[in-house]
Amino acid sequence: MRLHLENRAMTLAGVVLLTATLAYTQAPAPVPTTKAAKATTASTVKMRRTADGHPDLSGNWYFGIDLPHGDLVKVVDGKVTRSHFDQSARHSIQNEVPGALPWDKAPSYKPEYQEKVAYLFKNESKTDPVFYCDKPGTPRIGSPRKIVQMPKETIFLYEDISGNTFRVIPTDGRPHRADANPSAFGDSIGRWEKDTFVVETTNFLDDTWFGENGYMHSDKMRVIERLWLLPDGNLAYQATVEDPAVLAKPWTNYARVIPPNNDPIEESPACKEDDGQRLLNTDHHLQR
Amino acid sequence: MKHRIYFALLGVAMLVPGVALWAHHSPSAIFDMKKPITLTGVMTKVDWVNPHIVMFMDVKGADGAVVNWKFESNPPRWFTKVGVNRADFAAAVGQSVTVEIVAAIDGSKYGYLHKITFPNGNQFSLDESQTKEEIHP
Repeated sequence: MRLHLENRAMTLAGVVLLTATLAYTQAPAPVPTTKAAKATTASTVKMRRTADGHPDLSGNWYFGIDLPHGDLVKVVDGKVTRSHFDQSARHSIQNEVPGALPWDKAPSYKPEYQEKVAYLFKNESKTDPVFYCDKPGTPRIGSPRKIVQMPKETIFLYEDISGNTFRVIPTDGRPHRADANPSAFGDSIGRWEKDTFVVETTNFLDDTWFGENGYMHSDKMRVIERLWLLPDGNLAYQATVEDPAVLAKPWTNYARVIPPNNDPIEESPACKEDDGQRLLNTDHHLQR
Repeated sequence: MKHRIYFALLGVAMLVPGVALWAHHSPSAIFDMKKPITLTGVMTKVDWVNPHIVMFMDVKGADGAVVNWKFESNPPRWFTKVGVNRADFAAAVGQSVTVEIVAAIDGSKYGYLHKITFPNGNQFSLDESQTKEEIHP
């Protein structure tokens, strides 16, 4: 159980207020130039690569979604066992993730949107579409559960509480589709920047949140996701959100470290939310 | 603060030893966390759905009347990851089981299941007592 205290809403509002005075600069987030980026380069000799020379991201990876943190204690025929669900792919923070961009704790909204974001967050159990089984969208869904990397396109597969989702990401240099309808996961194209797979996504609906704390956005949102392999074989995932309509500046979230995971990807059971009508107050916690 | 300590979790654990549950909302927004109750009845149905698995149980009251209770618990993918499948619950359909739950504050026959004991004595229970700290931005 992960309860959110209401004072977090106040903290969020404060953070937004403090940071929103910065001027918006809609520049692409920079390619890593830190010593951490050098560490990534230094590790490439051990990296698994495809025939075309790029790091091979294919495979099953740990969950990037939020599930309960507790253990299950099972008693079977008198034998007691304890099982734990590892949430590290979702919630761990490792400041020294090699190759990671600098990140901020919270996005900076323009002043005219700060009150709305604080309201959405405070009333999350009433206002969050994800609470009611809707799609989390990009990048809120997090890292993919399975990656299928091919020469001209890469496919991301997800298991999410809202359902199974896929994203087909062309990597053959084509531009964004001109005829696609806006969607929760948007229209993606991918490219390699050295050993980092960079996915640029546009053409969003404006009814998803890009983060858990009421982080609404406009249909002008542009998301840059970066995925790269770490020396130990884990996958790193980091997302940057640009939205000149509502954000005072682009926001880069922390880098997640996702271990490989051989569990088969499975169909998500139907999502049938039945608690919203029973809520007696607006207490809430993180979704995902 | 990169390390968020969930005092609320600790508080609940201290108030109600043994009770641990997760919900996609704050459990206290629905359930009376201070009054765990134990019920015995016949399991009638298991719904393996998100965001919570759901079970139904017929409970006979002191007056002999049968009341159908509905329980939710952790998400299906959580259960499969800790080695419990739908069939493990469904095997008890039609049989008498004992459950420990916290019930809805509004008095409806609705609860959050944190422990179930099957007819053969086998048990599943949720335990967050080991989860004292969560790292989060």
